[in-house]
Amino acid sequence: MADQARRAAETATGRKGAPEIDVSSVAEGVTHGHARQGAKTVFDLESLTVSYAGKPAVKDVSMGIHENEITALIGPSGCGKSTLIRCLNRMNDLIPSASVEGKCLYHGHDLYGPSVDPVEVRKRIGMVFQKPNPFPKSIFDNVAFGPRVLGLPDVKERVERALRSAALWDEVKDRLDENAYGMSGGQQQRLCIARCIAVDPDVILMDEPCSALDPISTGRIEDLMLELKEQYSIVIVTHNMQQAARVSNRTAFLIVQLDSEEDNRWGQLVEYDETDKIFTNPSDRRTEDYVTGKVG
Amino acid sequence: MPEQTRLHYQEELGLLEERALEGMDMVVQSLDRTLEAVEHQDIELSQLVVADDDRIDGRYLEVHQEILTLLATQAPVATDLRLISALLHVMHSIERMGDQCVNISKVIPLTGHDAPVHADMVERILRMGKQARAMISQAKKAFEGRDVELARDLVRQDDLIDTLNKECFQIAVQVGEDVDTREWAMTMMLVARALERIGDNAVDIGEQVAFVVTGLFREFEDASHPGGAPLPSP
Repeated sequence: MADQARRAAETATGRKGAPEIDVSSVAEGVTHGHARQGAKTVFDLESLTVSYAGKPAVKDVSMGIHENEITALIGPSGCGKSTLIRCLNRMNDLIPSASVEGKCLYHGHDLYGPSVDPVEVRKRIGMVFQKPNPFPKSIFDNVAFGPRVLGLPDVKERVERALRSAALWDEVKDRLDENAYGMSGGQQQRLCIARCIAVDPDVILMDEPCSALDPISTGRIEDLMLELKEQYSIVIVTHNMQQAARVSNRTAFLIVQLDSEEDNRWGQLVEYDETDKIFTNPSDRRTEDYVTGKVG
Repeated sequence: MPEQTRLHYQEELGLLEERALEGMDMVVQSLDRTLEAVEHQDIELSQLVVADDDRIDGRYLEVHQEILTLLATQAPVATDLRLISALLHVMHSIERMGDQCVNISKVIPLTGHDAPVHADMVERILRMGKQARAMISQAKKAFEGRDVELARDLVRQDDLIDTLNKECFQIAVQVGEDVDTREWAMTMMLVARALERIGDNAVDIGEQVAFVVTGLFREFEDASHPGGAPLPSP
C-alpha cells in the first residue's frame, strides 16, 4: 500500500496517534426520523447509487451508520441490501462492471477516493458472509491468516483473543490444530467472525450471517453481535425481521422500484430509523406493510 | 402491485378484534338488564346479571388466550402489535364494566322491595346508565372505525356522567334524617359510583383507539392533572 493511502486510512480511523475526526456535523441531516442526534457516525452515505453495467442496483441512498451500534438492512429480495453492504468495504470493486456514484464517507473520508487502498479498507472493514467460508486449514491457521499476511505481531495471543471474542475459545482451545471443516456450521461462522476480528477491524459487515444456521447457533451469533458492538460497529443484512428487531439499534428498509417500460429495477431506501420505531410505529406505509408481512 | 401475503394471519387478527369488541355488546346487554333491575327493583333480573357475567369473563379469557397464541406464533409488529396491545387493554376494560354491572346488581336486594325511593336520584342514576350505555357503543364504533375524534368525544360524554354523579351525591347528602332513606341513598351512591366507573372505562377504550391510530399513548384526561393532559394528534 502506498504511504499516502496508508496515512489516509490511518487518519480515517483516528488510530496511531492520528487526530480524532469529529463527524457529528456530517451526520446532521443524513439520518432520518427519530435517529439519535449527536451519535457519531462511522459511515455517511450521501446520494449513493451503485450500478452494474450502467443499470442502477440501488439508487440515491442517504444515511448515517453509527459507531458501536448494530445497523440492520432489511427488504425484499433484489432491493439492493447486499449491494449496499458490499459497497461499504469496496467488495463491489471485484465486479468489473460495478460503478459507484454519490458519496460513501468513512469517518468523513471518501472511501472511493483515488488514494484509498481497497485492501486497507477491507482490513478495517471486515465482512462475514452468508455461508461460513473457513479456509481448508487448521482452526488456528484460519484465525492467524490475516495477522500473518499483514505482518501483525503476537499472532498467538491475537488468535486466542479473537477466538475468545468470538465466544469460541472454550470450544476449540484443545483442538486448534484440527481442520476447521470439522466444526459445526455455527462454529464455522463464529470462526469466520474470529478471523475477521483478528486483524482489529473498525467495522464488521455481516451479509445474512445466520441464514444457514439452526436457531441455537443463530442465538449464539446474535449474543456475540451484542457483545461485539461494544468494540465494533456492525452492519447486518438479514431476511429475518425478528433478528433485525432483536439485535439492531437502527434499521433501514429498502424496496424494489420497478420501471416496466425500461425493464429496470433498483433498490431504494424507504425508511431509516431506530429499530423499535420501525417495528412499533413505522412512518411509511410501505415499511408497515413489509414488517407486518402484508406484502411480499 | 405487490402480492398480498399472510392472509390467514390477517383473517385471524380481524376475527380476534371482532370477538374482543363483541364483548362491548355483551356489556351493553348486561347494563340494560342492570338498569331495568334498578328501575323496577327486580331482584330476579339482577341475579341473572350476576350469573350472566360468566359469559363476559369467558370472552375475556378466550380473547386473552388467542392474543397469547398470536403473539407466540405470528410475532406481530407495528400496527398489528399496537392493535393486539390495545385489545388486551380493551378486554380488561370490558371485563371491569361487566363487574360493575355485577356490583350494581348485588346491591339491588339491599334496597328491598319497599325501599323509600327518591325519584330525583333514581332519574339521575338512570340517565347516568343511559349515558354510560351510549358511551360503550360510541367506544366500539370509534375502535371499529379507528376514529380518534369520536374517541376523544368520549371525554365530553363522560363529563355528563360526572355531573350527574355529583348531583346524586348532593341529593344523598340532603336526603333527610330517616335512617332507611339514608341507607337507600348510600346504596344508590354505590350504584352511581359503579356507573361513573363504566364511563371511565369507555374513555379508557377511547384512549386505546388513539394509541392504535397514532402510536402514542396519552390519557385523554389525567385525573392527577385535570385539564392538563396533552392529547395525541391523529
